[in-house]
Amino acid sequence: MNTPNSSLLSIRHLQIGFKLHGEPLFSAVSGVSFEVPQRSTVALVGESGSGKSVTALSILGLLPKTITRIDPKSEILWQGQNLLHATQAQLRAVRGKDISIIFQEPMSSLNPVFTVGDQLIEGLRLHLGLSQRQANARAAELLHEVGIPEPVRRMGAYPHQLSGGQQQRVMIAMAIGCEPKLLIADEPTTALDVTIQRQILDLIADLQQRLHMSVLFITHDLTLVGEIADQVVVMKSGLVRETGLVQDLFHAPQDAYTRALLACRPPLHGRPHRLRVIDDFISGGLTPVEGVVGVRPHAGSDPMRGLTPPDDILLDVRDIKKDFCIPHGLWGHRLFHAVKGATFQLARGKTVGIVGESGSGKTTLGLLLMGLHAANGGSALFQGHDLLKPLSSDTLAMKRRIQIVFQNPYASLNPRFTVEQILMEPLMLHGIGKNAAERADLVRQLLLRVGLPVESLYRYPHEFSGGQRQRIAIARCLTVKPEILICDESVSALDVSVQAQVLNLLKDLQDEFHMSYIFISHDLAVVRYMSDQILVMSEGEVVEQGDADTVFDHPQHAYTQKLLAAIPNGVKWGQTPLGV
Amino acid sequence: MIAYLMRRIWQMIPTLLGVVLLVFFLFNWVGGDPAYVLAGKMASPEDIANIRHQLGIDRPLWEQLWIFIRQIVSGDFGDSWSTHEPVSQIFRTRLGPSMTLLIPLMILETAVAVLIALLVSAFRGSLLDRSLMVASTMVMSISLLVYIIVGQYVFASVLGWFPVKGWSQQLSQNLTTYAVLPVLLGLLVSVAPSLRLYRTFILDEVGQDYVRTARAKGVSEMRILWVHVLRNAGIPIVTNLLMGLPALLTGAFLLERFFAIPGIGREIILAVERSDFPIIKAATVYVAMATLVANLLGDMLYRVLDPRVNLD
Amino acid sequence: MTTTMRSPGLWTLAWRRLCRDRVGIVSLWVVAFYFGVVLMALGGWLAPDWTREVGVNYAPPTWWMGAQESEDAPAAPTTAQANVVADLYGLQDPLASEFAVMQAAYPNEVGLPPEPPRMQTLPLGGDKWGHDVLTKLIKGSQTSLLVGFVAALVATALGTLFGAVAGYFGRWVDDAFNWLYGVFTAIPYLLLVFAIAAVLQQRGVVTIILILGLTGWTGVFRLVRAEYLKHKSREYVLAAGAIGASNMRRMFVHILPNVSHVILVQLSLNVVGFIKSEVILSFLGFGVPVDVVSWGSMLNEAQNELILGKWWQLAAAGLAMAVLVTAFSMLTDALRDALDPKLKQ
Repeated sequence: MNTPNSSLLSIRHLQIGFKLHGEPLFSAVSGVSFEVPQRSTVALVGESGSGKSVTALSILGLLPKTITRIDPKSEILWQGQNLLHATQAQLRAVRGKDISIIFQEPMSSLNPVFTVGDQLIEGLRLHLGLSQRQANARAAELLHEVGIPEPVRRMGAYPHQLSGGQQQRVMIAMAIGCEPKLLIADEPTTALDVTIQRQILDLIADLQQRLHMSVLFITHDLTLVGEIADQVVVMKSGLVRETGLVQDLFHAPQDAYTRALLACRPPLHGRPHRLRVIDDFISGGLTPVEGVVGVRPHAGSDPMRGLTPPDDILLDVRDIKKDFCIPHGLWGHRLFHAVKGATFQLARGKTVGIVGESGSGKTTLGLLLMGLHAANGGSALFQGHDLLKPLSSDTLAMKRRIQIVFQNPYASLNPRFTVEQILMEPLMLHGIGKNAAERADLVRQLLLRVGLPVESLYRYPHEFSGGQRQRIAIARCLTVKPEILICDESVSALDVSVQAQVLNLLKDLQDEFHMSYIFISHDLAVVRYMSDQILVMSEGEVVEQGDADTVFDHPQHAYTQKLLAAIPNGVKWGQTPLGV
Repeated sequence: MIAYLMRRIWQMIPTLLGVVLLVFFLFNWVGGDPAYVLAGKMASPEDIANIRHQLGIDRPLWEQLWIFIRQIVSGDFGDSWSTHEPVSQIFRTRLGPSMTLLIPLMILETAVAVLIALLVSAFRGSLLDRSLMVASTMVMSISLLVYIIVGQYVFASVLGWFPVKGWSQQLSQNLTTYAVLPVLLGLLVSVAPSLRLYRTFILDEVGQDYVRTARAKGVSEMRILWVHVLRNAGIPIVTNLLMGLPALLTGAFLLERFFAIPGIGREIILAVERSDFPIIKAATVYVAMATLVANLLGDMLYRVLDPRVNLD
Repeated sequence: MTTTMRSPGLWTLAWRRLCRDRVGIVSLWVVAFYFGVVLMALGGWLAPDWTREVGVNYAPPTWWMGAQESEDAPAAPTTAQANVVADLYGLQDPLASEFAVMQAAYPNEVGLPPEPPRMQTLPLGGDKWGHDVLTKLIKGSQTSLLVGFVAALVATALGTLFGAVAGYFGRWVDDAFNWLYGVFTAIPYLLLVFAIAAVLQQRGVVTIILILGLTGWTGVFRLVRAEYLKHKSREYVLAAGAIGASNMRRMFVHILPNVSHVILVQLSLNVVGFIKSEVILSFLGFGVPVDVVSWGSMLNEAQNELILGKWWQLAAAGLAMAVLVTAFSMLTDALRDALDPKLKQ
């Protein structure tokens, strides 16, 4: 099945670089070869910067022409034709007819001012020469096929009137309209909630079977791959690290990088004390994370989970509420209940995890506790002071003992400040340290503690990677010696391998400084790994809460069960669940 | 839709009040005493007192403000100080010539600018694009004054292709003879900024993900540009055009002055030269009202054209 | 690279990008040249007195007469002329040695007349009264550039302050400034300027700077307000709040440098816009007083001269303005590209 004859698409020695005006050539893909066989699904897996999306876009010639430089020896063979040398007219005949593509952001990928029907019909009339009526009928049929209710009525809807999942279904309907032989799916579920992701994955798998097409599935998430792919191509830094059947790859990964990728995701079942990181595998042997000094807690001494009676309660939140006013009607307003009352307790040195999909109110809850939104009700007692009450000077001082690490590492550091200025600022504002020398010393220690070299002090944020920036953000929080750290999707924007390093750092710091964490995330596996207690939120409401292990192993509420069931866990052929 | 309209009209009231206050403040407080201007150099104190009484500026400020508001609501600003023609009649008769000049100018400008912008954005970053942009910068940099002075001299005085100045009673004659040179000269200056603006609108859209989707469907580049992109970029272009109308009304004063076209812009210049306050006050307030209405209409149009905007 | 060396900041990187932009650099030099000339004129080293009637009425440009070879071509230049030229521009006369020879050849003409004879031609010609157009041009550049630049500084500073306060504090503060913005933008800009010019009786450079500056803040306000709205909820500002930075510190130490590129580009756009406005106002006689020369007043004189075929003053003022405005506009474009935070180094 893997002989070149039976393959639908072969990519050979693909080399792509980008040349911006006045800049040296940046190599994105450096010699990639793989095959896509007939009627099978190939997953192209890699972290950001691996060149996986560039490879996918180059197949249909969708890279911006003016800056793209493709090596003349590269080949993308489609039915004996090298697509890289095809004329525009030849390419247009293939695009949308033989090879279709769906993208990561369904909202922006659909034209906002045309109806769903118009956009579906365009491709049908172009490639199949259907009349307006025939195309209309076919479009409705396609919408039905991708599982959109009331397809005829939905034809007249504009993209923004559909939910994210439905938008992606429309994209898929557009892609399969001409029954293509190959569907390229470029991170099609990354922008979607986990329950929607599950539905879209099922749909793609189902369509692949029914339409006898091949699918090239591009993703950063190895766990998805186990569910959907027959073959896997693992990429890193523009090179293929490993190619193989999915069973082989999962059971006996050959490449160190693949092994590391498989290991560094927190498992959903069971709970390791530390996550393994890429360096553990690449450099062979389990060496400590680069630059991390300080005491590693004794392996195996996993502290008790959940609230145990001797725990010192640091933060006592009762029935906290938040409504937003939305203008409605003539002069009226409508109340949107973002948080409909949450109650929990946070003990010293422990972690409360908050999980939910987008719009569940989990981020609002974090901002309420930071005082960045004013609450509409309830109380939050932090060592006897209610954080929700109007400010007085001593509550202001209390507030500083709660710090937050945000999601987007690119927006959380002031781009005009050097790292030194960023870390110095809180020390100066609060007069920590007797003099400049003492402060400089403190800053150096902190920087080393979060695993960055001292030279970083004189650099600006744009010179650092996402993971390094999160380390700087964490160091900034540590300057004021917080007792509570709120992590709002703090690792969600990071690649899995970097995620593991930052999670390990957070764990180490918690043990060292006895901080309490409020860990907010949509990622159930990460929340489980970090948390002692868990709140599951949906549409502003806490639907289930309790001891982390109990909630995950014996979910009571239907929503929690649905969430857990939707998580891809790499099981396709009844293998044992992934994990260490 | 109705609710939104009502809310917007309601919100216009404070702005309008602000404009009235600003104009009142300017003319009745900053400006000093207009009686000295009116009475001329050889006026006796009695003359001045007399004029002050006629103008009502010997009364308390709040009473003057009340008179001003009554004038605005009734549309009766009295007579011009210099020609003693009723102000309302001046505006009625000057609107026609202004429109005869401005409507062709606007249509031509938009058509030319959109066409070139589409052409240029198809070749973004190419030599054509860059040289056209540099050329438009240079064309924009020469003052309209220079274009008019040179244009009038060369094409009207020396070559005699067009009349030097003048205006007739007939629309057709105005359009075919008198308005041609002013419109062409106006076009020279106004196309370049519109072109640059529309180019950014179009380039914004060309970079969007949906263009990539259309390309991936096998749609031709021409269709992508004319159907997918223009339908999106057209929304800000159309609304921008509508909102710019009132400013245009006064913006053509140089053309009107040089070519002796009896329009509103020229009337305002004359009024400023003669310190003819009633005309300036009326022009300021009414053009401000027109601007607010045009903004409202532009906003409504935007909401009609763009399906994403919620109508309630 | 040594470890203690500071990395290049965003400003340095932007400067490097600008240096790579050839058009931008050329424009920068042109603008710098204009500013240099204006500074020298301000200091009195250049074109100290434009009111001296040094040439005959409508004296044509020297090089133009040379090309024309008309029957009454000017005689050989006199010593007086050489002296005047040196006086006027403070420049060394490169032909001084040749004049010495001529002095010897024509000793009769050396005697100093009570009033220096009017010159037949001037470098860029003369106007109706025989004022030197080049001197007027330098003085005019000084007025126009100064008005444009200072008014732009005033307008940009006002717009930035208002925009920062409105965008950062929001709520009623924002409502109040938005109201003010609505009022000022309801009246078309030039109409508002005309209305103020009509009301103010005294004309002067300061008056016109104030008129332009106090009415021209709206564009900057709109953009700066939008930027502050966006930035105040950015994570880095929230984090600054969390570590205890005050409102003032967040507004001016954290956010301001991050929106400064918008402000700089607006400043540059305003300079161009105000120079154009000043020219139109002065042309119409609503701008600078009669004893001050500006590009606008030169154009005003020039329109009547053109009918007589005397085109040099028009060409000089029109060209000087066009070159500066073109260079400034291209510099603005280059600045916008170089400062664009979306572009990575």
